[in-house]
Amino acid sequence: MNNSLFGTPLLPLAVVIPLIAAIVSLLLTSPRARSITGIGFATLLLFALAPWLWHTPGADLPTSVRYALGGWGAPLGIDLHLDGFATVLLLSTAALVLVLSIYSAFYFAGQSQAARFWPLWWMLVAGLNGVFLAADAFNVYVLLEIIGLASVALVALAGTREACTAALRYALVGLLGSLCYLLGVALLYRHYGTLDFAQLADLAQADPLTWAALALVTAGLLLKTALLPLHFWLPSAHANAPAPVSAVLSALVVKASFYLIARYWLDILSPAVTDLGSMLLGLLGAVAVIWGCVAAFRAHRLKLLVAYSTVAQLGYLFLLFPLAASGTDTHMALEAVVYFIVAHALAKAAMFLAAGNILRACGHDDIARLRGVAGQQPASLFIFAIAGVSLIGLPPSGGFIAKWLLLNTAISSGQWWWAVVVLCGGLLAALYIFKVLNLAFVRVDLPSGQIPQPVSAPTHAGMTLCAFALAIGAVALGFSAEWLVTLLDAGSSVTTFSQGAGT
Amino acid sequence: MFREMSPSFTDTHASTLPRVARVLVASVITAGGAALLLATLRTDKAPPELAVLVSEQLATSGVENPVTAVLLNFRSYDTLLEIAVLLIVAIAMQPHASSQPRIVAPSTNNESATNLVLTSLLRWLIPLSVLVGGYLLWTGAYAPGGAFQAGAVLAAAGVALALTERYQFGWQSAGAQWLISAGLAIFIATGIVSGMVTGTFLQYPVTYAATLILVVEIAATVSIAAILLQLFTRLARADVTSPHTSGASS
Repeated sequence: MNNSLFGTPLLPLAVVIPLIAAIVSLLLTSPRARSITGIGFATLLLFALAPWLWHTPGADLPTSVRYALGGWGAPLGIDLHLDGFATVLLLSTAALVLVLSIYSAFYFAGQSQAARFWPLWWMLVAGLNGVFLAADAFNVYVLLEIIGLASVALVALAGTREACTAALRYALVGLLGSLCYLLGVALLYRHYGTLDFAQLADLAQADPLTWAALALVTAGLLLKTALLPLHFWLPSAHANAPAPVSAVLSALVVKASFYLIARYWLDILSPAVTDLGSMLLGLLGAVAVIWGCVAAFRAHRLKLLVAYSTVAQLGYLFLLFPLAASGTDTHMALEAVVYFIVAHALAKAAMFLAAGNILRACGHDDIARLRGVAGQQPASLFIFAIAGVSLIGLPPSGGFIAKWLLLNTAISSGQWWWAVVVLCGGLLAALYIFKVLNLAFVRVDLPSGQIPQPVSAPTHAGMTLCAFALAIGAVALGFSAEWLVTLLDAGSSVTTFSQGAGT
Repeated sequence: MFREMSPSFTDTHASTLPRVARVLVASVITAGGAALLLATLRTDKAPPELAVLVSEQLATSGVENPVTAVLLNFRSYDTLLEIAVLLIVAIAMQPHASSQPRIVAPSTNNESATNLVLTSLLRWLIPLSVLVGGYLLWTGAYAPGGAFQAGAVLAAAGVALALTERYQFGWQSAGAQWLISAGLAIFIATGIVSGMVTGTFLQYPVTYAATLILVVEIAATVSIAAILLQLFTRLARADVTSPHTSGASS
């Protein structure tokens, strides 16, 4: 039993702290106390995870940690599992949740939705952390339900007709995805008699039932990740949610299901993966990159534009599968994609917060009517521009390094055509970002009576600061490539389940 | 046949999806289902190693019913998260207004009909439901039963009470918040406290396992009942809960 290893007794805290936070915020009656404890718990969560942040470069930390909940151990009990991939995602989640919690405290100040926002918010965080730590196929299903239901309720929080329609569609899609996943897991259990990821990785072989299970699991998770033909629910759900919810949905929630797809394809069921399947995922990703950019360019609302941009950016992640399939460059491809996930999470969260600030200040986010908005909202536009730099992939930013790593992998694995997709995607992203900036910075020479004046509540300075912090983070990531890569290397590779099996 | 049952539903879909697409979708689904069936039939079932393991470890789990042992000890983490799922649903369904200070209060609607048959029946049924719920909870340790079943029976008693329209429920009240979150809160507290003793989260000391499982189950029963009842009273409209229809449905 590995439970005595450094840091591991605290591993369940990543899930338990958010759950406690959810209960406490449900029981508190004062809105102010709710926000303050929300920020407090977010800080606590980050500090609970901090040992991994500080100890990574040294040899103190084992490459992969298992924690047997209840002391039973797999396959009887449920294990938690932590490696480099999971560490990076846990830490990004904790950091992002802290900033978004502070933003939400300002965003929901004095609003009745706050009473339901905080408990649901913490439930969502518990689900995300749980997925990153999961080592059991059925446990993942329960966690996906937590994430799905909490996300749907958070989208519906806006209360508008569009938001409720989007939330309902999101709920139905999520349910279909979960059921597909569950059917796949049922097949795996029938075939291999275990639900533990490491044991499945040990036993998995290429046969029709495993292919069927992999197809079902992948289809269910693709629905939740919104890869191109299955993306139809994402733009309306992400665009109509309250700003901090949009940010967390685009930055983290879709990544959780991508994380699971990566786990299943590269590790747990890797013997059953075929080159054709990897190519297909890569191809869908490539189409998503191009189509998402075009749809973003054509969008009429700012938040819708940002949401379509998420569809495009998710496409890049799926280049992982053909790039990793070449065998020699698996680790390099994973490095690039994890870097991409973190860079996109920061930039997209910053962008959604900036868009939310503009929406709140102007009372609308109709792009055509945002002409000259930079005069009224210079800070939000500045943040939008910085985040845009990272999304396009211009140096110096996290997005640049991420795309650079992707290009490198594509060329070194001899699949130059993916490099073309990455470059085209960058150019197209520049189009929709500059479309907004161009319009916003136009000098409006009309008499002041004809300019629509701000109608809604002014944004709090704290909200701008939070968005700014995320945007700066997205750029700073470009200077700290080394740090993130060593953190990822702590787990040596994504295939820790198949390596660690039987230990 | 379905066309006759719901004409509006089929008509709208007939206009949006062309015939070719419908045939295509149907054939893809059929082919997929057939392939799945074939793949399942052609592979052997794994030997039931886990079932053997469960029966081997049953003695140390604190209960004699293998289902309860799996749900509340071996895989208690899953059950904890499932209770969290229920709590999410309850939070999402909570009303905006916080005008009601108490969980259960006499109805302010004076016109609510006092259906003599219903109320006198419920005088028998509700205590009986509480008794059955308690029995199901207790028996879960030895035989099929447990928190979910007991909670459902208790919630049914609450639904019957709601159908009389003599009471109103204040789900935004502080008491209600405690009720719906008690299950998760006590589950986590048990996990942490036992973790402090044994060194692993959710690992119960063998001698106290039975007691701890019972404590967790009691709290879960109360919360599950409250959450289910909240869902009913939030979704039920006045015309649905009129005394005329309620007599037949219970």
